[in-house]
Order: sequence, then C-alpha cells, then structure tokens
Amino acid sequence: MKFPWFKRNGIFFIPSSKVGWIIFCGGVVYAVYSFIQIDSKSHSVSDTLINFVFRALFICAVYSLIAYITSRSANIKEEH
Amino acid sequence: MEIQNFEEKLVKMTKPEVIQLRHQEMLANAISSAKDRSVVNWWWLSIPLYIIAALFMKTAFMPDTTLISNIHEFTDKEKYSSFFFFLILPAISIIINLISIRKIYFLSGSPKEMKFLEVVWYNILMIIISVLILIIYSF
Repeated sequence: MKFPWFKRNGIFFIPSSKVGWIIFCGGVVYAVYSFIQIDSKSHSVSDTLINFVFRALFICAVYSLIAYITSRSANIKEEH
Repeated sequence: MEIQNFEEKLVKMTKPEVIQLRHQEMLANAISSAKDRSVVNWWWLSIPLYIIAALFMKTAFMPDTTLISNIHEFTDKEKYSSFFFFLILPAISIIINLISIRKIYFLSGSPKEMKFLEVVWYNILMIIISVLILIIYSF
C-alpha cells in the first residue's frame, strides 16, 4: 500500500490518496447517519445538536488518529 | 622528501562536505511529528472540553447547581467514559507532549532562547489544557 494516506494542513488531516478519501467519506456518511439517528430520538433542536456535536467530535478524533498513524508510517519508511 | 609529499597530498585532499546534517533532518522530523501529535491531541481533548462547556451552560441555565456538582453528576452517570475522557486522555496527552518537547529540546542543543518556545507552543498549550481538565475532574 502506498503511503501517506493523509497530509496535515493546520489542525486538519486532508486525504491525499484513494484510501484516504474512502476513510474520509466513511466518516462523513457515519456522521450523517448519527445525525439522523439522534434526531429521531431527540425532543428538541438543541437536544439534537448537543448530542450530535459530541458524536461528531468523537468521529473527528478517531479520524485524526487514523490519519496521524497512516501519514506517520510514510515518514518512518523514508527514514529507513 | 616524504614529509613534503605528504604535505602536498594533504593540501590536495578535499574535505568531505556534508550538505545537510543527519541531526538537522532528525530535528525537522521531530518538530513535524510533534505538531502532528499535538493536532491529534487537540481533537481528543476537544471532547472533554466540550463536555465541560455543556455542563457550564447547564450551570448557567440552572441557578441551583454548580459546575462541580454537574461534573459529579456526570461522572456518577457515565463512570467509564468520564474516567477515560477526564483522567486517562489528559494524562496520556501530558506524557506524549512532554516527550515531544524533551526530544526537540535535546535535538536543538538545549537552547535558552524564545525561539524554542515558538516551536513548541502548541505542545505547551495542550499540556496546559490537559492539566486544567485534570484539575476540574479532581474537585
């Protein structure tokens, strides 16, 4: 597999390969699915947003961890 | 005669030139890696920060409660997740950032300049945020 999958730009990891884009799109689809799921159970707009932001932050955190690991493995290969 | 020849040979000999030091490359990698790590830390620390902000808002709308009482209520309700987000996560963040700063400090030759702080300010910010989360959780 070709590395790196992501490149860091500020506080965001931007996909730089097909696999990176697949992971990114997977994250977005899961975020949309979570929003619909939370919205169906919540009682108000604020209830939806409060719960969704928490879920969205968690998705972003997991995504950044995956992006960090897969962009780092390229650096390790270059060092050796 | 032999000594003269040797001197001539020495003059002709060229010094090996190293365009880029290995040490410089290591320092650049360490700085880049530390920044990447601090970005990942920021995303993970944003979760407990968001919870604190939400509980702070709850305190503002419910005058009978305090931030600490709301945090206690949350930790009682969500034992494992609060333990992870408020204790393990900041602790790991502090350790990772300290290691990164230490590595950059030694690779850059233990500088006593403000430039060093300019390079690692984001890591220091992450440590401060982590310590604040730990302090809030410990009350």
